[in-house]
Amino acid sequence: MVYQPTRIMNFAQGEGFILGAAVGYLALGVWKLPLWLALIVLILASIFMGFIMERMVMLPVQLSGSKFAWIIATLAAALIFQSLFNIGFIGASLSYNEIWNKSFEFFGAQIAFQKLLVFVLTISIVITHDQFLRRTLWGRSIRAIAHNPDTSTILGIPTKPVIKLAFIIGTITVSFVGFLAAPVIIVEPASGLFFTIQGFTAAIVGGVGSPKGALAGGLVIGILDSVVRSTLGGTWGLFSTFIALALILILRPNGFFGKRVEGR
Amino acid sequence: MIYLFPLLAATTNNPIFYLQIVAVAACSAILTISLNICMGYGGLLSLMHTGMQMVGGYTVAVLMLKKGWNGWLALFMSIVVTAIFSIAVILLSLRATYLYFGMITLAINLIAMEGVRHGGSLTDGYNGLFGIIPPGITTPLMTPRSFYIFALTILFITYVIQRNIMFSGFGRNTMALRESSETATALGVSPNVHRLKVFTVSGALAGLAGGLLTMQIGYAQAEIGDLNNGLIFFVGLFLGGVGTLAGPIIGVSVVAVIDFLIRGTAQYRSLILGSILLLCMIILPRGVVGTYRASRYGSPQARDFDPAEAEDYELDIEVKDVVKDETLLEARDITKHFGGVHAVDGVSIVFKAGQVHGIIGPNGSGKSTLISALTSYLPLTSGSVDIFGKAAPAKPHLVARMGVTRVFQIPHLFDRINVLDNVLTGMYRQDSYSIFDAILRTPRYRKANGRSVGKARALLALAGLIGKEELLAGSLSHGQKRLLEVIRAVGTNPKILILDEPATGLTQEELSALTGLINLLATKGMCIILIEHNVQFLMNLAEIVTVLQSGKVIAQGTPMEVQKNEKVLDAYLGRADFSKELT
Repeated sequence: MVYQPTRIMNFAQGEGFILGAAVGYLALGVWKLPLWLALIVLILASIFMGFIMERMVMLPVQLSGSKFAWIIATLAAALIFQSLFNIGFIGASLSYNEIWNKSFEFFGAQIAFQKLLVFVLTISIVITHDQFLRRTLWGRSIRAIAHNPDTSTILGIPTKPVIKLAFIIGTITVSFVGFLAAPVIIVEPASGLFFTIQGFTAAIVGGVGSPKGALAGGLVIGILDSVVRSTLGGTWGLFSTFIALALILILRPNGFFGKRVEGR
Repeated sequence: MIYLFPLLAATTNNPIFYLQIVAVAACSAILTISLNICMGYGGLLSLMHTGMQMVGGYTVAVLMLKKGWNGWLALFMSIVVTAIFSIAVILLSLRATYLYFGMITLAINLIAMEGVRHGGSLTDGYNGLFGIIPPGITTPLMTPRSFYIFALTILFITYVIQRNIMFSGFGRNTMALRESSETATALGVSPNVHRLKVFTVSGALAGLAGGLLTMQIGYAQAEIGDLNNGLIFFVGLFLGGVGTLAGPIIGVSVVAVIDFLIRGTAQYRSLILGSILLLCMIILPRGVVGTYRASRYGSPQARDFDPAEAEDYELDIEVKDVVKDETLLEARDITKHFGGVHAVDGVSIVFKAGQVHGIIGPNGSGKSTLISALTSYLPLTSGSVDIFGKAAPAKPHLVARMGVTRVFQIPHLFDRINVLDNVLTGMYRQDSYSIFDAILRTPRYRKANGRSVGKARALLALAGLIGKEELLAGSLSHGQKRLLEVIRAVGTNPKILILDEPATGLTQEELSALTGLINLLATKGMCIILIEHNVQFLMNLAEIVTVLQSGKVIAQGTPMEVQKNEKVLDAYLGRADFSKELT
C-alpha cells in the first residue's frame, strides 16, 4: 500500500502487525474489553502509528536527496518502534485467547475458526484493496502518484495528504491482520522486522505493487514453508523460503506478476 | 582524534577496554568504507554487507580453529573467500536492477546465515566458533594494544585504497555508472563487467573487516550477519555522508562515541540510535561531509583564470587509421518498427571520414531512432549496419569502444561529478594502467593520469570552460553543459562522433565555439554526424545533408542542392520560418 505512491519498501511495515497483536493482547487479554471497543482502540492506535510513521519516514526522505534515504529512514523507524515494543512488553508473547475458540472438521482436519477468519479476512482485504485502488478517487490518486508525483501535483492531486492516507491505511490493514493472527501464530514484540522480511518475500514472489500478486506470493511461500518444515524439520523452513526468493529473483527479476521497477 | 583517544585514556584504570572499543570501531569503519564503495559510489543497494562480514569472519574462524592455519594466512583468505562469494552473488543477480538487486542481496544474506547455522561440524551450527586469538608478529600472540595499532593501520590502508580507487579511471567509471547507466555505456563502459568489479572490491574489503572483527572479539557466530547489526553501518554511512571519502570514518566514529556514552542503557540503545539517525537525516540530510561540501566553505569555487592560460594547453587530437573520404559507417536498408509505427523505414546511408554529415527532418521523422539503431541502442527490425567494414556489434558499449561516440539529445552529464572528471570519464579507455596501479599509485599510473588530465584541460580550454574544472557539472548553465558533453565525447578519441541537436539553447558565443570545434575535428579526419533543427548552423557546417521524413530518406546532397529540392520544401510547408530560410 505504501509502496504504491512513494516507491518505498517500508521496513517498518511489520511494526503495524506487532501493534495489532499488542492491542489485542492488552485490550482483550489484559483489560478484558469487549470486542467492539478493542477494535476502536485498534483503529485509533493504527491511525496514530501511521501518522507518526509517515512523518518519521517522509520527512527525512524529502529532505535528503539520496536514492537510499528511504531504506535508512524506514529501517530507523522499524528500529525505534521495535525497541518501544520491547520496552513496553518485555518478555511477553503477544497472544490472547481466540475470539472464536471453536473449530470444525473439514476433510478430516481440525480447522480452528480463528484461522479460517484470518484467511477469509485476508482475501477480503486484498479484494477491497484492489477495488479501492481502481474505483475510488483516492485510490486513483494513489495510483497516479505512483506513476509521477510531479504530474499528479499539477493535475491538482494533493500529493502529501494522499501519501499520509496511504501510510495510515497501510498501517490499519497490517495491524488488523496482526490483531487477528496473534492468537494463532507466535508474535513477539521484537519480531516486526522478521514479519516485514517475510512480507517482502511474498511481495517479491508475487511482484511488487500488485495486491493479487502479493496474495499469491504469500500463499506460495506459506505452503512451501509448511511443506519443508514437515518433511525436513523446522529449521529448514526459513532456508527454503529464502532459496525460493533468490531463485525467483534470479529467474524472473520482476516477480511473477510484477512490472519493471526502475530506480527513482 | 577519536581513534587516538585510548592512548590518552591509557592512564586510566581500564585501558584495554578502550583499546578494544576502538579496534571494533575500526573494523566497523572498514566495513562502512566497503559499503560506501558499493552504495555511495557504485549505486548498488546492498543489504548483505553484514553477511559478507560474517563470511569473512567464519573463513578466519574455520581455517584457524578447524584447519589449524596460520592466522595471517587465514586473514588473507578471508579477503579472497569473501571476494569470490561476492562474485558469485553478482553473477547470479546481474539482471536485477536497483530495488530487486537489494532484495536479492537481502535474501542471500539470510541464506548465508542459515547456511552457517546448518554447517554441521565445520561451523558448529547455532553455537558458533569460539577462541580465536589474533596471531603475533614477533610474539605468538598480539596484545590488545598491538592489535589496536594493527586495526588502525588496516583502516588507514583501506582509506587510502578507497581514495586512490575513486580518483582513478576506475572510480570515475563507477560514479558514471551510478549517475547514468546509459551515458556510461555511450562512453564504452560495460555496465555488467564494471558492476562485477565494484562489487568484488567491496566484497574483498568487507571480508577483511569480518576477518579482523572475528580476531578482535574472538568468536564467529551467524548473528554477525544479522541485518540488525548492519544498522550501525548504515547509520555511520549516512551520518558521515554517502559517497564521500571521509564520510564513513567520521560517521562510524560518531556512532561509536554515542554507543559508548549510552552503554549503560542497553535496552534503549536502538531507540536512541534510531532517533539520532532520523534527526540527523532531517538536520544534516547529506551527512557531515556532504553538508560541509555543499556549504560556502567546503564547496569548490570557479577560479579566476588568465585567458592566456588557455594557450598553455596544447591539444593533440588525432584520428588514427582513417583515410579522408573512406566509408566509416554504412547502413543498408535498415528498418525499425515500434508495433505499427515505422519509425525508420528502409534507410540506406553512408558516412565518410572527414565529413560533417547533417541530418534534418521534421519532428517525429525518425532522426533519433535512426541514431539509436545505428549505434545498437535499439535492435534493428531488419537491415544491417557496418562499422569500419565490419558488422556492428550487438551491444552499445562495444559500438562505443570501436570509436563511435554519441552525444544525446537531452543533456546526459554526470551532475554530481566535477567538470574535469566528467571529461576524464570519457578518456578512461586510453588509460593504460590497471586498478592495482591506481591503488599503489605506481609511476605508470601517475604518468598516464597526468597525460589524461593535460588533454582534458586542453579540451576544456577549447570550450572556454577552463577555470571551472572543480565545479560540479550540475551547476553549469545549459549551454556550458552541452559544450562539456561534446568535449567529453571528443575525449573518447572517436572516429565517428554523433551529435544529436547540440546547438539547442546555445548562446551566439557558444555556437561559434562549437562551430570551430566541429570544423577542427573534421579537418583531422573525424566523421561527424550532426542532427540539428538550427538550419543556418547546420547549412554552414555540413558538407552533405540527408533529409528524413516519416522514416524515409527524401533527399540527399550538398546543402545547396537540398535547399532547392521540391520534396524538402513540401515536407516543411506550413513551417513558415523554415520555408523562408530555404527559399
